[in-house]
Amino acid sequence: MPGRMAGRRALVTGGAGAIGLACARRLLAEGADVVLLDRNADALSATAIGAAPVACDIRAPGAVAAAVTRAAGLLNGPADVLVNSAGVYRIAPLLDLTPDEWDDMLAVNLRGTFLAGRAMAAALIAAGRPGAIVNISSTAGLVADAAEPSAHYNASKAGVLALTRQMAAEWAPHGIRANAVCPGVIDTPMLRMMDDPAAGAAYLRTGVPQGRLGSAEEVAAAVVFLASDDASYLTGATVPVDGGVTAI
Amino acid sequence: MRAIVTGAARGLGAAIAERLARDGADVVLLDVSADVTATADRLAADVAGAGGGRGQVAVGLAADVSDEIASAAAVDRAVDAIGGVDVLVNNAGIGGPDTDVTGTSLAEFRRVLDVNLTGTFLMCRAVAAVMIGQGSGGAIVNMGSVFGQQGVAGGAGYCASKAGVALLTHSLALELAPYGIRANTIAPGNMATEMHWDELRSRAARSGTTFGEQVELVKASVPLGRHGTGGDIAGVVAWLVSPDAGYVTGQTIGVNGGIWFS
Repeated sequence: MPGRMAGRRALVTGGAGAIGLACARRLLAEGADVVLLDRNADALSATAIGAAPVACDIRAPGAVAAAVTRAAGLLNGPADVLVNSAGVYRIAPLLDLTPDEWDDMLAVNLRGTFLAGRAMAAALIAAGRPGAIVNISSTAGLVADAAEPSAHYNASKAGVLALTRQMAAEWAPHGIRANAVCPGVIDTPMLRMMDDPAAGAAYLRTGVPQGRLGSAEEVAAAVVFLASDDASYLTGATVPVDGGVTAI
Repeated sequence: MRAIVTGAARGLGAAIAERLARDGADVVLLDVSADVTATADRLAADVAGAGGGRGQVAVGLAADVSDEIASAAAVDRAVDAIGGVDVLVNNAGIGGPDTDVTGTSLAEFRRVLDVNLTGTFLMCRAVAAVMIGQGSGGAIVNMGSVFGQQGVAGGAGYCASKAGVALLTHSLALELAPYGIRANTIAPGNMATEMHWDELRSRAARSGTTFGEQVELVKASVPLGRHGTGGDIAGVVAWLVSPDAGYVTGQTIGVNGGIWFS
């Protein structure tokens, strides 16, 4: 829908990642101005999609605040769309999981989402403008998985859902909506499920009603829908994009 | 895109039909009320007049979705009118009685289940068979409710019917996924519709307050501070039936201004 996001100023974290980049492309295609945040400055500048890159460690409050301010300068005003897609994924059975690994995961996936959301909302509220936040959670935040154990990832993504609801509740009076997308098995470099192709194919047949992987573009379509006025009465919602996995 | 929208004579259904037509769909509007013909005629004229939409056909058909024979016949006529069906939006529904369970007659309880749940089942059954036969996939959107996710004193039949719609839909999603047909539920919150105003009038009468006071009470309970509109729901329907939601099936999407997180 060209023009649906015309005049909107968007900030996408994890902008060099597959889903972040797909969101940025879709936002640009629908008319938004976009700033990409990522800790990997080289990967960011290599994207060259027409969005301004800003290097930022999403775990660091000072860095996030500075990046949000810098983005407002590049966008000629505070961002009114924030896509929190910065995230990491590791596999580790609980008995092997170290406290440091736990903290590192939560620092990026959950603390980073909090920091970016708070900085963005503070600027918008100060400017008296409405906006929309879309947080990338995961179906891993809704269900457990013994075959691919990642308690710290799952907990971080469940935390993102609770954080999203609280953002929705606290910032609704300011006209800021907050919703979460839960991608299922999406065809990105972060996906580990297809590392064993036979096992992956078997899972797609039995565990995914639609019988296929999703694409980063399909996640981005949901994200931009939620950021758009088509979703004007949605806030605090969890939207799985998972081919029906969580309907089983 | 060829779409059937039930409960389309007014309110949410009319708004959904209008949005789909403006997005380029041929639309059949179905309703138990004969007013649906006038709604369809008005929509056809509006869309043609606006020039922006590419929808060519808007047809109104009067039929009761809870009647097995009549609903199947209506689907046949709809498919004839628009040459097939790719999208079904089951929006037809009634509020049911505003009574405690102990004061609800069996006939009243059955009536709300018949329209809201059995009617949705009958329409899904008839349309899914056509979609499977076409072999080109499709999308079904059924109207649940936030009151199918949380209970309401005095609304047991309605709540049960809407909770039933969600699980009917999710089961259907699993059955139809191999055919490329997606099925999802929208769960609206408090909407600015005649059905909701009727409920608030009833609440006002029961509690000795005014209708206006009841409207303000509801608004104050919604984080976004307002009732939802037909346009709010139509935007979500437009997304769910489009390729943009191609990997979304078996889900309930809450559209409630933040009163319930699902």
